[in-house]
Amino acid sequence: MTVSRVRSPSSQRHRRRPPSRLQWGLALATLVLFFTIVGPWLVPHDPLEPDYRALYAAPSLTHLLGTDGLGRDVLARTLAGGRVSLVIALTATCLTALLGTLAGLVAAQLGGRWDAALVRVFDALLAFPGFLLVLLVVAALGGGTVQTILALGVAGTPLYFRLVRGFARTARDLDHVQAARAIGAGPLRTSLRHVLPTFLGPLTVQLATTAAGFLLVEASLSYLGLGVSLPTPTWGNVLQDARALLMRQWWAALGPGLALGMATLSLQLIADGIRDALDPKRHGTW
Amino acid sequence: MVAFLARSLASLAVTFVMVMTLVFVAMEALPGDAAMLRSGIDASAAATDAARRELGLDAPVIVRYAQWWGDLVRGDLGDSFRERRPVTTILVERLPVTGALALAAFSLSVVLGLGLGFLAGMTPGSRFDRGVLGYTTIGLALPEFWFGFVLLLVFAIAWPVLPLIGLPDGGGAGAWLRHLTLPAITLAIPRAAQLARLTRATVLEHRQADWVRTVRAKGGPVSLEFRHVAANASPGLFAPIALEAGGLLTGTIVVEQVFGLPGVGAMLIGAIGARDVPVVQGATVLAVLVYVAMNLLADVALAAGDPRAREA
Repeated sequence: MTVSRVRSPSSQRHRRRPPSRLQWGLALATLVLFFTIVGPWLVPHDPLEPDYRALYAAPSLTHLLGTDGLGRDVLARTLAGGRVSLVIALTATCLTALLGTLAGLVAAQLGGRWDAALVRVFDALLAFPGFLLVLLVVAALGGGTVQTILALGVAGTPLYFRLVRGFARTARDLDHVQAARAIGAGPLRTSLRHVLPTFLGPLTVQLATTAAGFLLVEASLSYLGLGVSLPTPTWGNVLQDARALLMRQWWAALGPGLALGMATLSLQLIADGIRDALDPKRHGTW
Repeated sequence: MVAFLARSLASLAVTFVMVMTLVFVAMEALPGDAAMLRSGIDASAAATDAARRELGLDAPVIVRYAQWWGDLVRGDLGDSFRERRPVTTILVERLPVTGALALAAFSLSVVLGLGLGFLAGMTPGSRFDRGVLGYTTIGLALPEFWFGFVLLLVFAIAWPVLPLIGLPDGGGAGAWLRHLTLPAITLAIPRAAQLARLTRATVLEHRQADWVRTVRAKGGPVSLEFRHVAANASPGLFAPIALEAGGLLTGTIVVEQVFGLPGVGAMLIGAIGARDVPVVQGATVLAVLVYVAMNLLADVALAAGDPRAREA
């Protein structure tokens, strides 16, 4: 009894603390993932199947978000589109991080002429406004899921190269890295086992930020008709359909917009949350 | 400062050559056979070959690369496959729309971003601060064209005070301004949000500096505190602002599409669809030039405002 009375104030104070941004972000991400993974089975409509008896239908119990100009269920398309959009954004993020990190580690490890050459190439890529680079790659490869992933992956690489090269050069002079080298660890082992872990935290923050950015870029690309080709739904494609119907049924843009917004917001919150956790001094910064 | 400028320009020149080479490679990689487009899709093989010779496409890559540089230096970006007239002429026609839109959006996002960010940073935790947080959160979580939809719905459809799409035929500056209002606001929403976040973080950091605390401790007027923070926080914001300006030329692409504006962005999208390589190249060269120039401007502005930056 006494014990519980002593404990309760502190645990209560603990409980009253509002959830951190990381917790908000993870909760939102879980929600988004749940609905995009399970959602398409919960909605009894096919995202590609037109219902000619219900063109331009307003939201109703059968079609919760209404139907589009071909009579396709907007909710079903939004949920199915989320799968494609999320797969593209997350895969492209992994690809770009992998390429950029490898190049950055190699540049920092080799130094000298190789380093200078790599820096020049990536600086030249950085001189393209990011979206233009994505557009050019898509223009060269054509639209489609894989092409979009490749375009995003290429466009994001220079940023990761810069980031990782900078971190890796700083890490070179750390005691434990020098010690590893002194006892005969090779360049590969040094880079992956001793250098990489020193900046995994900031790298994770960047990963979440990139994924959020890629979601938005993919939406813009699909909106321009240069991303994943129709009729495959992505959030961008569904929004493009909604633009054509804007005067007839404004709600068609609401659902997909909200879904996309929740997904990017969750990733941004996760990025900010990890940054908070890594740097305890960052208080009152959002 | 002179040495700094010389070094910046030299490094810029190297970057420029690299970038333009990348553009050449990218254009080579773009699908579409210029000779086929010129002679028509059902022309005979001989006619296509003739067109290929006429366009100089039968020369080895290295010769074409040299010729390409020669043309580029003389400001010749080639002829559009589709319209059969110089790309530079088309660009000059289209640039006013995109330029006006970019300028309006840039001014709006700088004024809003700096203003909101500065005031929020000076009053952390206040209701205003939380309001700005709400705006930046939403502004950065959704694609800009979605805000375009909302603005169209509210100000052009539900309460039609502004025109829906397109540009006026003729009409004075007033008509143009009315047509560019919604696109400019659409572009500014995420950009101002981004800048507001950065400004707020920078201001917060400098507000805790010793000299600002001293001003506060001595009971100096609030305006003096503002001045101290602003003077020290601003150099760090030059680079993001210049980057912003450089990126706007490509940023307008999507918004031009939403509002049906006949600008450079709409031209680029049309050219990609039609495999009109010279036009794609023209728009790319223009966008890259602006972007690189703005980056240089950022470095110079930073060096002018912060002597330490000249050393690096």
